[in-house]
Amino acid sequence: MPKPSVAIKDISRPGDQPLVFMNMHELMPVPNLGEEPPIEPTPQKFIDKYEMSLDGHCSIGIPKPKTKEEEDHLVRRFLSGLEKLFNSEESWTFKQALRLSFDYCVKCQTCSEACHAYLASGRQEIYRPTYRSEILRRIWKKYFTPEGKLLGRFVGADVDVNWQTVTRLAELGHRCTLCRRCAQRCPMAVDNALIARELRKLFSQELGIAPLEILEKGCVQHLRVGSSTGMNPPGLKDTVAFMEEDIGDRIGKKIKIPVDKKGADILLIHNAGEFLSWPENPEAFAILFEAAGISWTLSSEPVAYDAVNYGLWNDDVELARVAARHTLAAKKLGCKKVMIGECGHATKAYVVIADRVLTGDLSSSEIQRESCLPLLWEIIRSGAIKFDPSRNNFPVTLHDPCNMVRAMGIVKPQRLALKAIAPQFREMTPNGVYNYCCGGGSGYAIIQSFNFPQWRNKVGARMKMHQTLQAFKNELDPNKVPFKYLCAPCSNCKGTIRDSITHYGLWDKYNLNYGGLVELMVNAMVDIDRPFIEYEDFH
Amino acid sequence: MGIPVYLAWLSVVVFLVMIVYRFSKFNSMPLHLRWELYPLPLEPKHHYGGSYMEELDYVPKPRHHIRINGILDMASEVFLLKKVKEYNIYGMWPFSFSMHWGIYLLFVWIALMLVEKIFGFDAIVPVTNICGGVALIVGAFGSLGLLLKRISNSELASYTLPVDYFNLLFMLSIFTTGIIAWITDPYFFDKARAFIAGVLSFQPAQVSSSWLVAHFTLFELFLIYMPFSKMFHYIAKYFTIDKVFWDDILNLKGSSVDKKITSQLSGKLTWSAPHIVNGKNWVEQVGIIDGRDV
Repeated sequence: MPKPSVAIKDISRPGDQPLVFMNMHELMPVPNLGEEPPIEPTPQKFIDKYEMSLDGHCSIGIPKPKTKEEEDHLVRRFLSGLEKLFNSEESWTFKQALRLSFDYCVKCQTCSEACHAYLASGRQEIYRPTYRSEILRRIWKKYFTPEGKLLGRFVGADVDVNWQTVTRLAELGHRCTLCRRCAQRCPMAVDNALIARELRKLFSQELGIAPLEILEKGCVQHLRVGSSTGMNPPGLKDTVAFMEEDIGDRIGKKIKIPVDKKGADILLIHNAGEFLSWPENPEAFAILFEAAGISWTLSSEPVAYDAVNYGLWNDDVELARVAARHTLAAKKLGCKKVMIGECGHATKAYVVIADRVLTGDLSSSEIQRESCLPLLWEIIRSGAIKFDPSRNNFPVTLHDPCNMVRAMGIVKPQRLALKAIAPQFREMTPNGVYNYCCGGGSGYAIIQSFNFPQWRNKVGARMKMHQTLQAFKNELDPNKVPFKYLCAPCSNCKGTIRDSITHYGLWDKYNLNYGGLVELMVNAMVDIDRPFIEYEDFH
Repeated sequence: MGIPVYLAWLSVVVFLVMIVYRFSKFNSMPLHLRWELYPLPLEPKHHYGGSYMEELDYVPKPRHHIRINGILDMASEVFLLKKVKEYNIYGMWPFSFSMHWGIYLLFVWIALMLVEKIFGFDAIVPVTNICGGVALIVGAFGSLGLLLKRISNSELASYTLPVDYFNLLFMLSIFTTGIIAWITDPYFFDKARAFIAGVLSFQPAQVSSSWLVAHFTLFELFLIYMPFSKMFHYIAKYFTIDKVFWDDILNLKGSSVDKKITSQLSGKLTWSAPHIVNGKNWVEQVGIIDGRDV
């Protein structure tokens, strides 16, 4: 085999030359994809101003340091942050898990073949799950361990930290979607995704460096304004009024969406992106919950009408701040349970990760926290609403959001629901806990800055498009099968899928559409006399 | 022969003490956030990767783990290296499997010789000898194979450190000195027994084979070295798997998890990003919207 073109130590290479270039002919082939847009070269205006020397793409936009002081500052703070990752007070949240993954990787590379980004890129070395981990490990050894200082290269203490190392690592932390498929295959249970996550944490918590959409326009805006979308409480009330009107137009019935209803059993929190991009999704929830007689409410409390919690991907402090406010809002309303709508990361952040942040009166035993998927299946199973599956008589496949499936073990409810209401449902391969990420995991769905969307579409989402086309391979001809539906019960997955279907022109070529689970459920409701899904609309 | 005998006791003591020390070091680390991964073998719904979170109202419902499933899963990794076999595309499994079994059988061989000596079970002598012979052959095959694999495959070589080659050479030297001692001495197994008997009685046996002495000396040094090296993964794996990937314990008010986390939340933070307030503890940080306002 040829020697990998990029070595570990290249991360410190001076200069603007990227470590790798993305080439069309190297990308993983995708049958039936047809002609695809070419790869655009890195714009010179970005190269001049920002750090683009990892792979010619950029998610953060770190300005190049102008002075030696700025360079030293980056290096100093990076090393200080790295040390804090292993401090029991500063980083108890993941210290043990990180320490173990750091110390016991045997570098057998078994994980590489599990990574959708590595495979889709044509096996570019820098996207190998172990590449960034090994760099970080060697830096740690060199700067913080006695054996590294004593034995140097013999134990791998051989990566220098200069400002290029720091800025490239900041970007490299954002070439892993944290889907954890690699961890699933590791014989040592080493978690390279966790290492990537903690690397991002170092940047966010120590240097304040993170993609704009995740920190400043994400968590910070969420906490300041009320939602990462920028929607404030009056904005929410306007949105609710719009949705009530829209429901009337769509199904010919009036429904009152409860907001701040004291004593409701369930506080339902949607990813606020749904209100703006796919209002039919929260509308469908309202229709289903009303028809099933469920006691529920939305909250107009700032933060609590937006389920997102971007701290999951890079910042423990922001994660805790958001999760606490979600729970306090439920407590204020006297709700027994908080349920997250169709949003994978928000569900995992709140139900699983925040489980050990919310203590005492905020703990699970005091206010329950659940995914919406079990309740959706229960609505079908119990017969609370009558469904006519023939109304969904078109090919449907399911994307499993990693955060709800691989990270939470919620596998069956969505499948049972689809089997009950969609007669042409078929699985994609692989599926369930072994699924591939949509490509938008860990915030990539919302990062629209610089030329990052190109990386997401070409590399991140490529495997998902491959799987989807395979699932529909016998029905791609739009003249014979005019509508196909990729069901993705997750806002961020939908955002990525929307962008990648658009990028590859799959709506135009094959009439391939996408959406959530609740839209299909409402589409099949016997009590509604018209289709809920708009078959000619792609948005 | 005296040095290997006394070294044997020293190596066993260091090995055991270091296992206990390092185990307790890992065990005393702070309780981390939940980071489980499915399929989770302890889960009753493990066969398809499901969890208790598939249930409505799961918090008040009883949840249980099927411990035997976890043990079987871990055993399949430890003894069969299942994931390497299934997923490693570099053809490492036959060598890795052999090397691991070489080490396991080496321990078993020594244990059987101890059993023979202590309990006078002469009937197991043939089994003991076979065990020792197989250990040396498969161990040498495995460690040599892995060494060559890592040298010859550029994708593996880029990530393999000098210390990793040293570890493999160390193991290869243990097995090959054993094999040389075996083929150069028709009384190899008897002399090995005599050596073990000498260790037990603190009376160094007069063993004429210098290869045998080298073999046991290297093995003893290996026991001392192993807990300080990456090869300690045989213990670390318990934590990475059981305490991280399989830890799905729900936090309930007043539970031991709740108490631990509550105490950890009092730790002060000194992260320097502007949205974090230096010097405030976790609870105080949560009350703040943005560190720049303070």
